[in-house]
Amino acid sequence: MSVSHASWTAKFLAVVRYEILWNIRKKKFLGMLVVAFALATLSLAGGHIVSAITGEPVEPNPDFVINSNVGLGGFGFFLFAIVTAMNIISAEFESGTIVPLLAKPLSRTTVFLGKLFAAFLTLLATYCFLMIYMTVGGFVVHGPQNNLHLVPLSLLGALFSTLIWIAIVLFFGTLFRSSLIAALGPFGIWLGTNIIGSILAVVGGQGWILTYIPGSGNTGYFGEPPPLGVEVDTLLGIAVSTGTDSIGPNLIKYILHPSILHPSWVVTYYKMNMGGIIPGESSQITWTPLYSEPFPTVILTSIAVALVYFIVFVVISWYVFRRAQVTE
Amino acid sequence: MEFAIETTNLTKKYESLVAVDNLDLKVKADTIHGFLGPNGAGKTTTLKILVGLLKPDGGSVSVLGQELGWDKPDVRSRIGYMPELPKLPKHLKGRELLDIYGRMYGMNKEERNKQVPKLLDMVGLREREDDLIGKYSKGMQQRLGMAQALLNEPELVILDEPSLGLDPVGMVEVREIMKGISKEGVTVFLSSHLLHEVEQVCTHVTIINKGVEVTSGTLKQISAKFRGPVTIEAEVDKLSKAVIEKVKGLPFVADVSRDGKKLLVQVKTRDDVRSQVSQAITAEGGIVISMNLKGESLEDVFMDLLVKSKKGRL
Repeated sequence: MSVSHASWTAKFLAVVRYEILWNIRKKKFLGMLVVAFALATLSLAGGHIVSAITGEPVEPNPDFVINSNVGLGGFGFFLFAIVTAMNIISAEFESGTIVPLLAKPLSRTTVFLGKLFAAFLTLLATYCFLMIYMTVGGFVVHGPQNNLHLVPLSLLGALFSTLIWIAIVLFFGTLFRSSLIAALGPFGIWLGTNIIGSILAVVGGQGWILTYIPGSGNTGYFGEPPPLGVEVDTLLGIAVSTGTDSIGPNLIKYILHPSILHPSWVVTYYKMNMGGIIPGESSQITWTPLYSEPFPTVILTSIAVALVYFIVFVVISWYVFRRAQVTE
Repeated sequence: MEFAIETTNLTKKYESLVAVDNLDLKVKADTIHGFLGPNGAGKTTTLKILVGLLKPDGGSVSVLGQELGWDKPDVRSRIGYMPELPKLPKHLKGRELLDIYGRMYGMNKEERNKQVPKLLDMVGLREREDDLIGKYSKGMQQRLGMAQALLNEPELVILDEPSLGLDPVGMVEVREIMKGISKEGVTVFLSSHLLHEVEQVCTHVTIINKGVEVTSGTLKQISAKFRGPVTIEAEVDKLSKAVIEKVKGLPFVADVSRDGKKLLVQVKTRDDVRSQVSQAITAEGGIVISMNLKGESLEDVFMDLLVKSKKGRL
C-alpha cells in the first residue's frame, strides 16, 4: 500500500479531526457550552427581567452587542480554556490512548500542533456561535445594533484571552500528565492573579504588575490626567482595563472613539489611599495618580503580553511533549 | 534484508532498574517470532523502543533496515503495532478510529474505504462499527487493536500479548490471523505469556529474563538444545510386572518406573513413540486409560530455562 509518502498536511489534518471529535464529544465541553448559552441568554434577557420586577420600561440599547464581549467575561474565557485544553495531552497519557497514537507515523510536533489547532478551531466555532447568538438576540431584545462590523474584533479579543489560558493549561497537562493538575494549576494562577493580585495592586499601588499577567489587568482612567502626585477625592473619566481579557473591548474603544488618540487623553493609574475614620463621618478615600500612558500603548502591551505568554507556554509544552517517553 | 529487527547492546533503564540489558535481538524477516519472558522481563519495554515510544539508554536499533532515531516517524509507516490491552479513544466509533488512523498513515479515501471494512470483517466488528469504542467489551477493543495494527498493510507487525482478554474462539481467530499475514510475507513479532500459543504459531523464539536474552533460535533449535529427557506418562489399568518388563524391553526406552496406576517411561528418542509404548502395554494385557508426553512442550523448556537462568547456569 502506498502510504509512506503522504503529505504532512494530510497527517496533520487527521490529528485535528481526531482531536475535534474528542473535544465536541466531551461531556464537560457540552456542559460548558450549555452554561455559556445560558449566561448569554441571561445577559440578553437581563433588562427584561429587571423591567418585570421594577416596572420600568426597557430602553433600546444599540450598543448592547458591541459591548457584550462574546457574552463572556474573564472567568468565562478561563473556563472555556480549561474544558477545551485540560485533556489535550494529559488525558491521552492517563487513558493510555497515547500509545497507539504515537505508534503511528506522525512526529510529536505534528501531533502537538494538530491538537493545539483543534483546540483553536473548537474555540473559534464556539465563540462564533455565541457571537451570532448574542447578535441576533441583541437585535430581538435591544433593537437595531450599532457598529456590528466591529464584532469580529470582539471575537478576536476573546480568542486571544482564552488562548493564553489554553497555553497555560497545556503546559500543566503536558508537564504533569494529569488532567486534574492541568485544571487546578491554572485555576490557582487565575485565583492568585485576579483576586490576591488585584487587592495587593490596589492597596500597595503596584497595579502595573497586573498589566504583565494574564487576566483582567490593571484599571486606569481615561481623560486629561491630574498633576502627578496630587491627591484627588474622586476618580474622573471612564475606567479602562489593561488586561488581556480586554483586548477586544479596548480595540473597539480605540476605533470608535478617535478622541482618545488626542495627546491629552491618556490612561492614568491611581493608588488608593485609605484615610482615617473620623467619628460621625465616613472614612475618607483619596487617590494619588501614579503614572499615565497613551491608550495605544495599553492595547499593544496587552497584545504583546498575550503573545509572549502564549508562545512561552506553548514552546515549553512542545519541548516537553517532544521528549516525553511513554511509560504508561 | 535478512533481519526485520536487529538490536545491538540495547539497554533501557528506569532510574536504577535495568529493564533491558545489552539485548542483541535478531528477528528474521518473514518469520513469526515469539518473544517470551516472565512478568517484568523487559518485553513490553523492548517493543515500545521498537515503535519509538521509549528512548533507549544505550545500543542501537534497526527496524526494517532503518536505524531508529528519536521522533523519526518514517519507519512506522511500515510497521503495525498492537499494544498490550490496547487503550483506544472511547469517544470515537470503531470505523471512525480506523478511518482516522488510516489518514494518519496517509492512506487515501479509496484505500481506507477498501481496507477498513475488510479489517472490521476480519476481526468480527462489522456489525458494531458505528458504536462508540467506549461501549465495546475488552475483547472487542482487543480485536479492534488488532485491526488497527494491520491497517497500513505493514511489513512488520509487532503484537504485545495479542490474545490477552480474548475468549477461546477469539484466541484461535487471532492465531489464524497471524498465520495468514505471515503467509503474505509479513514478519510478525509477538510477545506472549501463552506458551501454547507461541508454540502453535511461531517459527522462532527469543526468551528474555530480567532484560537479558536467555536464548534465541528456531523452536526446533531451542527444543533440541535445552529440552530434557522426554517422559511418557501413561495411566494403565491391569498394570502388571509383565507389562513393565515388556515396555522396558523396547529399544528406545531408557528407564521405566511405576507410581500406582501410572507408568513413567523415560525415552531416549525425540520421535513420538507413544503408539509403540501403547502396543507393548496392551500386548501384555494392560489397558491404557491416558497417555501424555512430559518435557516436550515449550512450557517445559521455558520453565527449565528460567530456573537455570536464575541459578546462573546459562
